[in-house]
Amino acid sequence: MDSRQNNDCLKKKESNRRQGKQCGRREFLSGALKAAALGSAAMVSGCGTGLLGSSEESALKWQEYFKKNYRLMTQEEKDETVARLERLAKLRKGVDIQMSSKEPVEDVLFGYAFNLTRCEGFMECVAACVKENNLDRKSQTQYIRIFEMEPGEMTPESGDGKYFHKVPVENHFYMGVQCFHCESAPCIKACPTKATWREPDGIVVVDYDWCIGCRYCMAACPYYGRRFNWNEPQVPVKEMTKKQHYLGNRMRGKGQVEKCTFCVQRSRAGRLPACVEACPTGARVFGNLLDPKSEIRFVLKEKKVFRLKEELGTDPKFWYFID
Amino acid sequence: MKTPTLKSYLFRILPALIIIFSGLQAYAGQGGVVETIKKAIVPFNDEEQVDSVPPLPRDTVLVKTKYQGGIFWTETRKDKVERFKCSQCHNNKDVTIARAAEMAHGDISSVHGGKLRPLSCFTCHKKDERDFLVTEKGSKVDMDHSYRMCGQCHFRQQKDWVGGAHGKRVSFWAGKRVVKNCTSCHDPHSPLFEKRWPKTYSRPIVK
Ligand code: HEC
Ligand code: HEC
Ligand code: HEC
Ligand code: HEC
Repeated sequence: MDSRQNNDCLKKKESNRRQGKQCGRREFLSGALKAAALGSAAMVSGCGTGLLGSSEESALKWQEYFKKNYRLMTQEEKDETVARLERLAKLRKGVDIQMSSKEPVEDVLFGYAFNLTRCEGFMECVAACVKENNLDRKSQTQYIRIFEMEPGEMTPESGDGKYFHKVPVENHFYMGVQCFHCESAPCIKACPTKATWREPDGIVVVDYDWCIGCRYCMAACPYYGRRFNWNEPQVPVKEMTKKQHYLGNRMRGKGQVEKCTFCVQRSRAGRLPACVEACPTGARVFGNLLDPKSEIRFVLKEKKVFRLKEELGTDPKFWYFID
Repeated sequence: MKTPTLKSYLFRILPALIIIFSGLQAYAGQGGVVETIKKAIVPFNDEEQVDSVPPLPRDTVLVKTKYQGGIFWTETRKDKVERFKCSQCHNNKDVTIARAAEMAHGDISSVHGGKLRPLSCFTCHKKDERDFLVTEKGSKVDMDHSYRMCGQCHFRQQKDWVGGAHGKRVSFWAGKRVVKNCTSCHDPHSPLFEKRWPKTYSRPIVK
């Protein structure tokens, strides 16, 4: 990891703080409430730098704060929040992002298969995922983990998840683990604020703004599929993926849970998730489970497949196979 | 001390039994997504249902076999092979320069089929028409269609490649199917992937 960039990022944040540009939700809310109590719209400036730009920012934040859960929004409301978030990104970081709230495609149910004989542990998928999904560079968040395994082992718990040497190593195989997008997902049931749910195309998503960071979902997930932001995620503006989706790779905040979304910003547009596209060995197969002519259906029909901890009844849409 | 009766013993293990049985049920049931998949037999119309499917990239050729979903395309190779056209040099004129082969192809040594007895160059390359590959029966194969030549010996891999379990699709899951050619991934002269450093590494899990 490039620590220099991180340092830069930290410095920037520090200076922002000194200038009072950034403020947490709480300070903002109390500031805004005071202003409201005074009945003066002009004073709605949570952090109070008094600059014109900053008051626009505050107004946007204010509106963002009171928006609904994504699932309850009308298309109009979705468009509005997306527009606000785009503008906020511009005001805060000077980035031009394009955010989408593209709906699921009808007759699509996404599924994934992982070829254990093919994967060689190059970890191109992990790097591509970090980049595509704007994962925090400071704590080095990764959605995907690759385990180096001895023959005969079948659960990643016994594998080595932090190898760093030339790969592949003889007589070992590699197993990738990420969110399995279970049909009967325990994480969804565990969430007290309904901030996470299964979309009609089978993707399990999080409305980050409704996440209160209780991490019940993380405890409920038997696959270690979710990640928690202990700090404000930091992504150098130059490296940021600008094409974003509300339920996907938009920037998360501190104290919010996130996870693999099968790259919803890509998959709903017909593209392969970043990990699949980056894989140099073809170990990753992705497609529409409802389409009998898809590659994933071929794998399920022709290969010996299994799922992790199938006996738990979580019904993951992620299969492993050997050929 | 009283020895426990059978009944109280059963009571004690009851919770465990319930858990085991419910687990087995979920396992044996195989309802859920597997059942959903079995019922889905209508092909998905990519072009109509996904609005942003891309046009076919230019460097593709129509594959000469079909997959379960009809026709598909693969990446061309001739435009990527540095020394193409081979017939620039391999024409009917004799080469008079000493050590010409080494100068021209010194970088290529085949280890395909084992270091000890590698396949000869002319198992794959057509001797009298060097721009083409060759099958065992002697008919020529275009270099863009090298999968046909490889498939003679690697029948299983070719079948998986056609179906989608070997090799990979390029960029899009929807729209016209374009896959990587065998030689986009495998160097035909040394087909195993080389060992190398992983692109990144992972930190230990913190929960
Ligand atoms: C720059 C000129 C040049 C080009 C271009 C070239 N070759 Fe050659 N190649 C030679 C020469 C010179 C020899 C050695 C003399 C001979 O066998 O004709 C040779 C020999 C060979 C041999 C026999 C090697 C051996 O060890 O017996 C093969 C096979 C071959 N070339 C294949 C190809 C293929 C396939 C291409 C196109 C992708 C190609 N060459 C392009 C110059 C060239
Ligand atoms: C297993 C079959 C096979 C064998 C054996 C084989 N080749 Fe090739 N060779 C190919 C294929 C297929 C290509 C086209 C590569 C591509 O698509 O990138 C190729 C490409 C080449 C090229 C062009 C490479 C470039 O990038 O310019 C040369 C030169 C060549 N072969 C020479 C040889 C020579 C010399 C030998 C014997 C030592 C040999 N080949 C043995 C299959 C084979
Ligand atoms: C004339 C038959 C023949 C052709 C044509 C052929 N191969 Fe092979 N290939 C072999 C043999 C023999 C082996 C060694 C198998 C073994 O060691 O078990 C092999 C091994 C391999 C391996 C595994 C390498 C290893 O060391 O285990 C790969 C990958 C491979 N071939 C790819 C290809 C590709 C790609 C093509 C087309 C460009 C091709 N082969 C064409 C005969 C062939
Ligand atoms: C996306 C890249 C990719 C494509 C395309 C691809 N392969 Fe492979 N193939 C692999 C990988 C990775 C391995 C594992 C080999 C290794 O360990 O180096 C492999 C292994 C093989 C092997 C060795 C036996 C085995 O199954 O492990 C053969 C033979 C082979 N491939 C033939 C082919 C043929 C023939 C084609 C084209 C029809 C093809 N491959 C297309 C990536 C690819």
